[in-house]
Amino acid sequence: MSHGHELHIHQENYQFKGKAKTLSLALLIIGLAFSIIGIFTIPRDTHHDAHDTAAKHEVSNHKTIEKNIHGVDVAHSDEQLYPIPVEHAKPWYTRIYMNLLINGYFLLLIAVCGIFFFALQYIANAGWASSLLRIPQAMSTILPIGAIIVLAVFLLAGQDIYHWVHYEHLHLVKGQEGYDPILADKSWFLNTKLILIFLISIPLVWFLFGKYLRNLSIKEDAEGGLTFFKKSIRVSAAFTLFFGFSISILSWIVTMSVDAHWYSTIFSIYNFATGWVSAIAIITLFVLYLKRNGYLEIVSDEHIHDLGKFMFAFSIFWTYLWVSQFLLIWYANIPEESIYYYKRWEMPFKINWFLNLGLNFLIPFLVLMTRNNKRNPQILTFVALCILVGHWNDIYLMLMPGAIDKQATIGFLEIGMPLFFAGLFMYWVLTALSKKGLIPVKHPYIQESAHHDVGV
Amino acid sequence: MIHDSAIRTQLVTGEKTLHDVTTEICRPIENKPSTSWKVGFVLSVIFLGILGLTLAITTLFGIGTWGLNKTVQWGWDITNFVFWVGIGHAGTLISAILLLFRQKWRMSINRSAEAMTIFAVMCAAVFPLFHMGRLWVGMYWVLPLPNAFGSLWGNFHSPLLWDVFAITTYFSVSLVFWYLGLIPDIATVRDRATTAGRKFWYNFFSMGWTGSVRTWNRYEVVSLILAGISTPLVLSVHTIVSMDFATSVVPGWHTTIFPPYFVAGAIFSGFGMVLTLLVIVRKVMNYQDYITIGHLEAMCKVVMLTGTMVGLAYITEFFVAAYSGVVYEQYAFINRATGPYWWAYWSMMTCNLIAPQVFWFKWARTTPWFIFMLSIVVNVGMWFERFVIIVTSLHREYLPSGWVMYSPTIIEIGIFVGTFGLFFTCFFLFSKFLPVINMSEVKSILKNRE
Repeated sequence: MSHGHELHIHQENYQFKGKAKTLSLALLIIGLAFSIIGIFTIPRDTHHDAHDTAAKHEVSNHKTIEKNIHGVDVAHSDEQLYPIPVEHAKPWYTRIYMNLLINGYFLLLIAVCGIFFFALQYIANAGWASSLLRIPQAMSTILPIGAIIVLAVFLLAGQDIYHWVHYEHLHLVKGQEGYDPILADKSWFLNTKLILIFLISIPLVWFLFGKYLRNLSIKEDAEGGLTFFKKSIRVSAAFTLFFGFSISILSWIVTMSVDAHWYSTIFSIYNFATGWVSAIAIITLFVLYLKRNGYLEIVSDEHIHDLGKFMFAFSIFWTYLWVSQFLLIWYANIPEESIYYYKRWEMPFKINWFLNLGLNFLIPFLVLMTRNNKRNPQILTFVALCILVGHWNDIYLMLMPGAIDKQATIGFLEIGMPLFFAGLFMYWVLTALSKKGLIPVKHPYIQESAHHDVGV
Repeated sequence: MIHDSAIRTQLVTGEKTLHDVTTEICRPIENKPSTSWKVGFVLSVIFLGILGLTLAITTLFGIGTWGLNKTVQWGWDITNFVFWVGIGHAGTLISAILLLFRQKWRMSINRSAEAMTIFAVMCAAVFPLFHMGRLWVGMYWVLPLPNAFGSLWGNFHSPLLWDVFAITTYFSVSLVFWYLGLIPDIATVRDRATTAGRKFWYNFFSMGWTGSVRTWNRYEVVSLILAGISTPLVLSVHTIVSMDFATSVVPGWHTTIFPPYFVAGAIFSGFGMVLTLLVIVRKVMNYQDYITIGHLEAMCKVVMLTGTMVGLAYITEFFVAAYSGVVYEQYAFINRATGPYWWAYWSMMTCNLIAPQVFWFKWARTTPWFIFMLSIVVNVGMWFERFVIIVTSLHREYLPSGWVMYSPTIIEIGIFVGTFGLFFTCFFLFSKFLPVINMSEVKSILKNRE
């Protein structure tokens, strides 16, 4: 409780060079090479083949429908309220777009959760993390890349990925063959015009908020005083309000509408949890990297311990949301809902299903349980990487089954593309980090952060 | 070493010394109760009497004395049950989650908030227990021998049974946590005791507390462990309450957002009740220096945050129902907003989503009488939320032949009003016999500890 003992806070200037630069470039090259090999190895289907697969799919699809999630046969009747969607094999290149979408959306989530991380520190009046705010601030700069990829994929391959976009272009009316009352009923929301407005405006507003908050923090370094701090609190509160509503809309658009017939109210919070825990894992990785290279002098084991606690807690939070969605759908066993899990319970997704729980729950939960592990850089790095792979897999599992179903597989492309984006992310964020001072030296709570102690 | 920035507001104002804290917080225990206390207590006991009477009538004449019918099988009972359970959540959040987040402002409000939790859970328990009708038969599954009443065990597939476990766990952990925090303070009262009776009882309940470094060390470790155990409880209890509804296939009930949405709502309503109580407590007991405007402001921010989260959930539900393409879901929500119970729905929306938005203004967050009014609005709104969920979803069946209206009988109203009697009787007794503010923790954050 003393004010007397004040540490002198030095500004640090990070230089992006050496191993980190080599690694990011290597990831970019290897990722690109793998992706190219992957693209060339995707099985091309001739027209005849495509027809064949489509037929096969129809059969397997029927099989899927006939059994509900408990494996109990569901009665079929001609007067079924909801027609079974007949799936056609997607063009071979859809897989490339899907990979772009998965990684682009993941980037977007991580970047916006980076903004949310520092906004949260301001609105919660928290001091402990003020020394590491520059990291999420740098992460937020990559937001446009994610947003542009998602938008581009929607524009270029929306028809192939999103069932409803394809349907919209058919202009079917009631009574015509193939008319889908559910999709017709959704057209007030799921229509290209409205979706484009959201897809452009939401990330744009996020980006502007992030940029503005980052500038306030950087100006504070030069000028000091409380003006920037107080302004940051107000802007952060406005951002948080907007963020809560807008991330819901974005998750409905980008991920939920892939399974256009299906819906779940918890889905938006679940998407947020995925991005949030991943963003914390990345912040932890950056802190550990910077510490190892002699930067962030005032950040200690105490901060790292707290980041470890966050990874632990929010991995459980993610699992809580996962269970809430799964348990309720499993329990009520309404075919329209349970189809979602039934699809994911079959090959080729069954492995991803188990990976999801293993990487995102079991490993963080069991490994980060003890205090010592949360203070151990090697163990934290391992868990953070598991979380990142796990949540990439989570998004894969949200998007792939609804879009290309049985055509999905983990190949060179699925490994190469995340590596490429990891390299891009490292290169981009570390470059952003090197351009500004690494420590918010005049943050009013910087002394609190420098003296941070987790207590017992 | 802990360092506090100079721009942080002081948590305890009025330049208190350690001795000031002890004398001021022990004052109500060591002196004769004030007139306002007596009046309040007698009123509460009268309401408690109403509870006793209406429960006796329910037990003697059966559930037929309630307004439930063939379609609306859950009405006021479960509305009030969820209402009270929800209120308890603020206490646990303050004592556990805010401890983990190192929020020191919790220290002068945690004791009363935890007490509130325990009393609220007691009030909640009244409803499902008496809804069983023949309470003594319902108790049978606890000791299921001889097996004369059907199945040997309770139905473990039923969320109602999960509720029994969740709430009893919650109650016991909260009670232990609360009592643990009380021990050093009870010892303080013991050490200052001037009468034999006080000496005996406070000695008994202080469990031989010595205040040595070793005991303090263990006390802090146990507090942290209990906080760790309580944190998932904050989420689990209302999650399971929400599953009482969400595992069903009733339109408006079966929706996956229910677990987190109920938890947010519970914290929201709990903070509403904490504010109602503390605005009065700080005024009547003259604790303005301990429960400062800063404390009220922080709580108002939590109310605004959780209120908006609940509002987001309402909007999500409404949106997804519209989006789902399922006519039953769509009808359930249109019926909520425009059907015969429209007034309940719009009360809920106004009180829970719109009203807390005034806390964006600093004046609203720092004016006690206004906060008090708004906390009542929050309580009312959250009661309506449960009423809306339960009654409007039930009163329209899949078959129109089952469409009915529900209104409570005088007995049901009596039980609900009576639970406030139970709650406030307990709270008045607590404020007379136990330190309302955690003395030992507050002492640790005083500026001048010399």
